[in-house]
Amino acid sequence: MILELCEEAQDFGRSALGAIEAAGGDRLVQAAEADPAQRQAAIEPVLAGLGAWQLEPRRNLEEMEAAAALCRSAGHWALPYPVAARLCRPAAGDFDGLLVVSDVEPAAPVAGLGLRWAAAGLDGQGYAATARPAPAAPRRSAFVTRLDLQPAARVDTADLALALTLPCWTLLGMLDRAMALTCAYVLERQQFGQPLASFQGVQFQLTDAEVERVGVEELAKYALWSIESGRPDAVDDALALRAAAVEAAEIVFRVAHQLHGAIGFCDETTISWMSRYSAPLRRLPLGLTATRTELTRRLGRQGLAGLFSSPSSTSQ
Amino acid sequence: MDFDMGDGVAGLRTRLRELIRTEVPEDYLGAFTDDPADLEAAQRFCRLLAEQGLLCMAWPEEWGGRGASPWEQTAVREEMWAHHEPRGAQYMGVNWVGPTIMRHGTPEQQRQHLPAIARGEVIWCQGFSEPNAGSDLASLQTAARRDGDGWRVSGQKIWTSYATMAQWCFLLCRTSSEAKKQRGLSIFLVPMTAPGIEVRPIRAMMGPHHLNEVFLDDVWVTEADALGPIGEGWTVVQEVLSFERVGIARYARCERLLQWAPVALGDQWEALPEELRGSWARMLVRARRARLLAYRVVDMQNRGRVHPGDAAAYRIAVTRLDQESAEVLMEIVGGADTSGEDASRFRRAVEDHWRYSVSATVASGSIEMQRILMSRSLLAAR
Repeated sequence: MILELCEEAQDFGRSALGAIEAAGGDRLVQAAEADPAQRQAAIEPVLAGLGAWQLEPRRNLEEMEAAAALCRSAGHWALPYPVAARLCRPAAGDFDGLLVVSDVEPAAPVAGLGLRWAAAGLDGQGYAATARPAPAAPRRSAFVTRLDLQPAARVDTADLALALTLPCWTLLGMLDRAMALTCAYVLERQQFGQPLASFQGVQFQLTDAEVERVGVEELAKYALWSIESGRPDAVDDALALRAAAVEAAEIVFRVAHQLHGAIGFCDETTISWMSRYSAPLRRLPLGLTATRTELTRRLGRQGLAGLFSSPSSTSQ
Repeated sequence: MDFDMGDGVAGLRTRLRELIRTEVPEDYLGAFTDDPADLEAAQRFCRLLAEQGLLCMAWPEEWGGRGASPWEQTAVREEMWAHHEPRGAQYMGVNWVGPTIMRHGTPEQQRQHLPAIARGEVIWCQGFSEPNAGSDLASLQTAARRDGDGWRVSGQKIWTSYATMAQWCFLLCRTSSEAKKQRGLSIFLVPMTAPGIEVRPIRAMMGPHHLNEVFLDDVWVTEADALGPIGEGWTVVQEVLSFERVGIARYARCERLLQWAPVALGDQWEALPEELRGSWARMLVRARRARLLAYRVVDMQNRGRVHPGDAAAYRIAVTRLDQESAEVLMEIVGGADTSGEDASRFRRAVEDHWRYSVSATVASGSIEMQRILMSRSLLAAR
């Protein structure tokens, strides 16, 4: 049992965290919102400098883990760029990235990037996708735009699983940051002559949120391993991760906002930006209920792979 | 990364399941029922495990174990709890009483107690909680009063699992009153047949014989019964709790029952409301989450990096899973015809799980204590 990303991947994640910080960190999303046309020019060189486009997550275990670490670091800064989708670009075809889409109003946060997108439905149907112009300013849309789809070849199970899993690593990075920001805030903010952190009502909310975050971290590693090891139920594992990650995000951001109080709604706090820009990852391709419905449909009566997933193993 | 425990552990699981299938009665739902045959079955099974070298696998060879890997120990914990703990009360002796005696016991104590535990012949109970010392354990009042070359112990313990059937008690009491309540506590290994000990069962929803009150009235103990230095009992108790960091593999029973549901219900499964099957899927994800959090603690413990907050996160996740899965499973059996043989067995197992789950967030350190521990770690790290 090896339950941590390899050292190289962890190092790569740390380098990415530093490189994005050096390029502007939290200001990147604010600048992109103020001037959407500049976001590509501001972010792509940073990722290229890290060697992100040389990563081929499906080539070997280390590269897949490095891709996951990069997505997490991007999430830490709410990087307004579809890093996960780009890292999932399919080997075949002339595409810059792979998006998983719903069959109802397919959309993704890729407005104005001018990239060539492949897309996959949850049934594995492949598409060539074209992003429409942004329907609204990013402050409202968070760069989400409708996609026009043209049917193409089916998408490999592992590709689909990876395209579901890597965005959850980005969301995990956002949860890491939301928890860090909230812990720092309650230690600093004083009311009734003492830090908010000294109140048990505050402490218990934090622990409940942290249990969710750390649970996503473990499920995210498992889903990655499931793809790496070629497991046939990798898509189920990815959907299980997604269901848990979206549920966790609801809890973590609710607690983060509650404990920040009114200042947490304001642009001057990072949590406000994190919260808003987490929305596309939580809503697309499917929100919590729809993700769970799809997972339930796929599990049927077989259940989720685990200690007792063979029917004969349950009833002693 | 690699989440595969390997062929060795898989083989051990197969062996344990085969033993359970052939040696544990099909309807076994734990040792603590009104039917004495259940306790006998557990005692028989323990002896069998001991004979096959499977009872104390984690122990060092010197004491009859074979130094099993942490993952083998994990598999044993999972298989036992998933199948309603066919070792009965003896998991306590194996998991922490024995290891604590190995660390702190005198050679005489080790010779007296360890072989008996290793042979699966002895049941221990834990004399910790008192009516006014639950989560605040260090406030306990049971006192050992000096009398000649020994002590007289008087007081009351409560929630003492297995006390009616135990031969020995791992007793924590106060040997001196000092300003700091954690000081002045000592541990004595006391035979339950000692004059002055009275056990009164507390009938409870988890089953009869499970919880008890233990009254101590001038129970005579000597230096030879003390485990570790007098007055240093609190340090030993912290170690005991560290042996129990991962604790019971509650997720394994949840996972087994959840996976069993569609099998037991047969054609009725698809007729269940879609929302309920959605809750079932959610619980399967939560069971996996708790299992992975347990593995995380095992892995960190193995590398000497575990913090109280990590173990607490797992405990919070797994005890909530226990209760939430029990509610979902009760809804599942409530909405189905369970008159068939397998469905009926499934229903009884679910009902037992539901009754037992009520205690999950209270027993072995309440969920509030876990949240306090976890928030300390979380906030101290900033």
